Amino acid sequence: MTAVLHTERLTKRYGHRPALTDVDLDIPPGRVVGLVGPNGAGKSTLLGLAGGLITPTSGTITVLGNRPAANAAHLARVGFVAQNTPVYPGLSVRDHLRLGARLNRSWDQRLAERRIAQVGLDPGQKAGRLSGGQHAQLALTIAVAKRPELLILDEPVAALDPLARNQFLRNLMEFIGELEVTVVLSSHLISDLEQVCDHLVLLSASRVQLAGEVDALLAEHHRLRAARGDLDDLPAEVEVITAEHRAGESTVVVRRAGTAPIPGGAHRIESVGLEELILAYLTRAADASVAYQPTTRPMEAQR
Amino acid sequence: MIWLTWRQFRVQFVAALVVLAALAGYLVVLGRSIRHSYNSDILGCVAANGCSLSQVEARFVQDYAGPVRVSGVLLMVVPAIIGLFWATPMITRELETDTHRLVWNQSVTRTRWLAVKLTLVGLFGVAATGAASLGLTWAASRFDQVEGNRFLAIDFASRNLTPLGYAAFAFALGIAVGLLVRRTVPAMAITLAVIAVVQFAIPIAARPHLRAPVTASVPYTSAVPDDRGGFLKIPGPGRPVEIEGYTIPGALMLTSSAALLDSAGRQVVSDQLRQCLLRDPRKTQDCVARLNLHFRVSYQPANRYWSFQMLEFGGFVVLAVLLVGVSLWWIRRIRG
Repeated sequence: MTAVLHTERLTKRYGHRPALTDVDLDIPPGRVVGLVGPNGAGKSTLLGLAGGLITPTSGTITVLGNRPAANAAHLARVGFVAQNTPVYPGLSVRDHLRLGARLNRSWDQRLAERRIAQVGLDPGQKAGRLSGGQHAQLALTIAVAKRPELLILDEPVAALDPLARNQFLRNLMEFIGELEVTVVLSSHLISDLEQVCDHLVLLSASRVQLAGEVDALLAEHHRLRAARGDLDDLPAEVEVITAEHRAGESTVVVRRAGTAPIPGGAHRIESVGLEELILAYLTRAADASVAYQPTTRPMEAQR
Repeated sequence: MIWLTWRQFRVQFVAALVVLAALAGYLVVLGRSIRHSYNSDILGCVAANGCSLSQVEARFVQDYAGPVRVSGVLLMVVPAIIGLFWATPMITRELETDTHRLVWNQSVTRTRWLAVKLTLVGLFGVAATGAASLGLTWAASRFDQVEGNRFLAIDFASRNLTPLGYAAFAFALGIAVGLLVRRTVPAMAITLAVIAVVQFAIPIAARPHLRAPVTASVPYTSAVPDDRGGFLKIPGPGRPVEIEGYTIPGALMLTSSAALLDSAGRQVVSDQLRQCLLRDPRKTQDCVARLNLHFRVSYQPANRYWSFQMLEFGGFVVLAVLLVGVSLWWIRRIRG
């Protein structure tokens, strides 16, 4: 099947400041994609480009086979929940459903009403008086009830307390299963994404550091422990992501192409968790941007 | 989109209707009062024997100048209100509260979103201004007729077609500035500044030159000075003599002071009038009037009133259309 979201050398600059640099991505359909990265990494920029809210400086982006927000029919196929889940404070919950119904041909009123009831929103309530969690639920309802093929959520839970955050994500998962929709959601909290995602895109310093299926990524990466010095001559198929040296022992996180053997000294091979994996890449990106020398490998730069 | 536009605009819509109803009520009272005075005083004076019509007319104009002028100012303020409080916030409030990201991600393009708002709210604004203009034009019609100076800046801008053009322009301006500036307070300030400059600049700089003026040579007779102007200004020795504030009834005067010329077209200097410098100004005028002098004035004659109304209305409509074009082009390119 063709990609839901496809980018080639996608670049966005604000003045001279790069927000996104040479991003090549391919998001297959049916995934729940977690877009993770520190604040200012370019997550909102990438999602804004996908939603057609902003236009690229260079490179191309294709969403569902077309330019983002190309026309009304294309807009109907993409649901977008912007950062801070904006709603009209003066309009009631019922008015928002009416807005959705009037502005979307594919609107599913039964789904919208069911969701509103399920999350306990009072239809007569003004949106300005809703709590943060209810706010987010209302914005999500409007986005899903238009029955999109791609649902984009920009930091939907950033403003929520841990309980509301957990509820929102659980509720989202239930709906995703029912709707057969590809979801891209961003967060700077890894734990949020760990709950829901099966595909990961890691952004840092305006570049994609890592992208792929979560299961495959976890299978490729390992943690190696060995006496200090024993891990200096790893073969080319084994890429070192980060290394830590403490009290005579070295711990490295590596990416192994296929099932290439890992030769060397008395080391242990352990599996890594998603959080550790992401942190390893973020650490590498951060170090590279601090002491960047084009000819040295990140690991050497760290030493 | 029509429903959403209505839902977001209905409070202003109802408020506008209330204000319009109040204004209509006031104008009906004013119009009836003016008509009553006209029928009893002016027509009464015409019918009566030995009544000084010009005195009665002057008192009639004096009596109603206040309320008519205040209504005129009010009508000039209406377009500014439409631009400032309807058009600009309609855009900037969405951009400031991020709700544009909600509404632009429904199955409606930005262009359509803007086009519907422009059409519905803009047309209502123009229609409301038109109703107010119609009311004032009716209420003040006898006053305007007696005063006979329809080109007076405040009257010209608050009667017939021109207010509609202003309203369309102010509304389109508010939208365009809102889209370009994005923030409510600066956008409102810029919109207000532009509207104010335009309303002051048009009558001074643009209106007199909309058509090539008529130039006339006026002989200086004792009938030239009247209560409107045309006074003789005799300066110190060796300086040219001028006629100040001469008006042609109902015309838009371009000349405020004109040099007094002799029959050969040479400027008359004050020394040449030495023999006429008498203590009584009336006698001075009569003396000068016997010297076969004249002066030249240029003006837009009264019968061009409607062509000027059309030109100004048309000009502002063209400006409004241009601004709408800019807005529709720009909204597709701005950061969402």
